[in-house]
Amino acid sequence: MKSEVMVGNKAVAYATKLARANLIAAYPITPQTTIVEYLSDFVAGGDLKAEFVTVEGEITAQLVCLSGSIAGARTFTATSGEGLLYMSHALHHTARYWAPVVMAVCNRSVRTMQPDHTDLLAQRETGWIQLYCENNQEVLDTGIMAYKIAEDDRVRLPVAYALDGYVLSFTAEPVEIPDQEKVDAWLPPFKTQYPVLPETWDHDLEEYKKHWAQGKGINEPFTPFAGDENFSHLTMVSWGKGHDLQWRWRAHQEAMMRAKKVIREVNEDYGKHFGRSYGNGLLEEYRTEDADAVIVAMGTLASTSRVAVDNLRKQGKKIGLVKLKSYRPFPDEEFRDIGKRVGTIGVIDRNISLGENGIAYGSIRSSVYDLKDRPKVLGFYAGLAGREVRVRDIEKAAEMTLKGAEGAPTWIG
Amino acid sequence: MIEIRFHGRGGQGAVTAVKILASAIYLEGKFTQAIPMYGTERRGAPVAAFCRVDDTRIRERDLVHEPDMVVVLDPLLNRSVDVTDGLKKGGLVIVNHPGAAKDTGLAGDFKVATVDATKIALDVIGRPITNTAILGAFAKATGLVKLESLAEAVKSELPARLIPTNVDAMKKAYEATNAPVDASGFKKAEIVKKTSTQPMISYSRNVSDWRVIRPVVDKAKCVGCKRCWVYCPETAISLVDNKAEINYDYCKGCGICSEECLVHAIKMEREEV
Ligand code: SF4
Ligand code: SF4
Repeated sequence: MKSEVMVGNKAVAYATKLARANLIAAYPITPQTTIVEYLSDFVAGGDLKAEFVTVEGEITAQLVCLSGSIAGARTFTATSGEGLLYMSHALHHTARYWAPVVMAVCNRSVRTMQPDHTDLLAQRETGWIQLYCENNQEVLDTGIMAYKIAEDDRVRLPVAYALDGYVLSFTAEPVEIPDQEKVDAWLPPFKTQYPVLPETWDHDLEEYKKHWAQGKGINEPFTPFAGDENFSHLTMVSWGKGHDLQWRWRAHQEAMMRAKKVIREVNEDYGKHFGRSYGNGLLEEYRTEDADAVIVAMGTLASTSRVAVDNLRKQGKKIGLVKLKSYRPFPDEEFRDIGKRVGTIGVIDRNISLGENGIAYGSIRSSVYDLKDRPKVLGFYAGLAGREVRVRDIEKAAEMTLKGAEGAPTWIG
Repeated sequence: MIEIRFHGRGGQGAVTAVKILASAIYLEGKFTQAIPMYGTERRGAPVAAFCRVDDTRIRERDLVHEPDMVVVLDPLLNRSVDVTDGLKKGGLVIVNHPGAAKDTGLAGDFKVATVDATKIALDVIGRPITNTAILGAFAKATGLVKLESLAEAVKSELPARLIPTNVDAMKKAYEATNAPVDASGFKKAEIVKKTSTQPMISYSRNVSDWRVIRPVVDKAKCVGCKRCWVYCPETAISLVDNKAEINYDYCKGCGICSEECLVHAIKMEREEV
C-alpha cells in the first residue's frame, strides 16, 4: 500500500481510478476542476481505462452518466455549487431510473466560491444518497464505498459524496492508497439491470424475450425478484403497474430506507478489508459515552469539532460529537437512540433553508420528537459562504449546548 | 503541533512551497497538512499558505492564526502585510532579504534568519521564484526537515526539467542562510497602504510594492508597436510620442511586457530593497 500527501480532489480521482470507473463525464467548475484534470491525466496516461466524455455543461454530464450507467458502464461525474444546481433536474432522472451513478461534490456556496453545504443539501429530494466526508482519507475511502453501496441489488441508487470545497479540495494531507488488487477483489465489475447490451446485463435474456413474447411487457414487470418487497425497485425494468406512478415514489422510498442497512454493512466490510471504517457508516459518535450533551456537525466541521470536544473534555465538561455522514438516507433511528442518552443536542449547520432553519437541525429535531423524554435540540449556523470556522467557534456552540439554552438558532463566528 | 505560515506573492510559489514541505516532513514519518489561502490569484498579489506538523493526523481545519514560524518569500512584503501578526513569543521568522536581520524591518519577541533567496533564484533558476530556495533556508534555520527529504518531495511537485535547478537553489540557500538573530531590539518597518496620485486605471490600486523586478524601457530601441501595451495585465503602459512609457504605480513587475517585446526594448531590473 502506498501513501501520499495529496489534496482532496486528488483523493477523489484516486478513488475513481481504484473503482475502475469506465465512463467519466464532467464539466469544470471551481473548486472541482482539478478532479477532472487528475482523471484526464490518468486516462491519457493509460492508468485508467475509461471513456472520458467532454461535455458542454453539467446537465449533459449527468445525462451521459445516466445513459452510460443504464447501458452497463460504471460512471463518475463531479461538480460544485452552481454546476450542481444547473445539473439538478438531471439528478432526478438518474435517481428515478435507478442508475447507480457516483458523483463527487466539492461543496461550494452559491454566494461565494468558498464552501457551505447548501448546494448539495438543496438536492436532498432528488432521491440520491448523500455522504459527507471530513478528511481526504475518508474522501478516498468513501469514493470506493460509494460504488459498492450504489450497485447493491437492494439499493441501485445514485450516490453523491461530498468534500468541503477549498478546505479539503485544495488542502493536502497524507492519504493511504489501497492496492488495486484488493479493491478489485472487493468491488466486482458492474452489471446493469437494464437489457441494453446483453454482456453488461445481469438477467437471463431468454427469460426476458419469453416475457415479452407472452405479451406481458408493460403491465407485468419483468424481474426475477417480482413480488419480493426487498427488490421492488427492479420492476423499473418495465413500466410496472400501468400508469400508477405513485408506486414509483414508494418503491424509491423503500430502496432509500433499505440503503441504511446497506451503508452500515458496506462500511463495516470496508473496515474488515482495508482497516478503516467511519462510525456505523451513517454517523459516527465521538466521546459520547457518559456525555450530558452532544454537538452534531457534517463535513470538515466534524473534524474541527473533535478538537473542540477534546479541549472541553480536558476541562471536565461532558460533551460529545456526532458526525453526521449520511444525510440521505437520514439516520433517524440512530438519533433517537442518542436522544435517549443525552439531555441536549446542538446541531451546527453549514447550510440554511431560508425561511425556516438549518437543514440538519430540522431533521434531527423531527427524529427525536416521538421520544417520551426527548432532548432539547438547539440550532447553530456556522461557516456559511465559506466563513472560516475556528475551534473556539465550535467550543462556543458546545458550551451553549451544555447549558441547554433555549431560543432561536444562533449564528456563530 | 508546529504551525507555520508562509507569506508570498502570487507567482512566487508559496502554495507549492507548503505542499513540498508537508510532503518532505511526511517522508520523515510525521503527519502534516498543507493549506493554501486563495485570494485574488493575481500574479504579484500578497498570498498566504499554511503548514501544520504533528505526530498524529491533524484535525484542525481552520487557518493558522498563531504560528510558531513564519516564512516570508518577499523582502518588501512586510511593508504592506503584518507578516509577524500572531507569531508566538520566541518564534522564528525566515525571510528572503539581501541584508542582515536588523535591516529587514522585522522586530519583536522572536528570531529572524535571512537569506537572499531572490539572488539565488535569479542566479540558479533564472527567475525570481523563491519558493524552493526559501525551503532550503527553512531546513537550515529550523532543523525541522532534511535537505534530502525536500529534494525528494520536489520531484512530485515540479516538472522534471525544473527539478535540478530548484534542488540546487535549495542547497545554495541552505548554505547561505544567516543564523537566526534575536529581533527584540530591532525597529519595525511601518506598514504603509500605498495610494496613487496617478489617474485611476487598472484596478485603481497602487501595486508598486508587489514588484521584485521592474521593467525599464530603452526608448532608443522601442519602435512603438504597442505589443507591450496590449499584453500588460495591469494596463500600466501608455505610448507617449510613440514610445512605451511605464506607470510604476500600476506596474506589478510581472515581466510580461519584457517577454513580449520583439525588439527587446524592455529589460527587467531588480528592485532596490
Ligand atoms: S513592445 Fe517593445 S517596441 Fe513595442 S511598444 Fe512596447 S517597448 Fe516598444
Ligand atoms: S508594465 Fe510590464 S512588468 Fe509592469 S505590469 Fe505591465 S507587463 Fe507587467
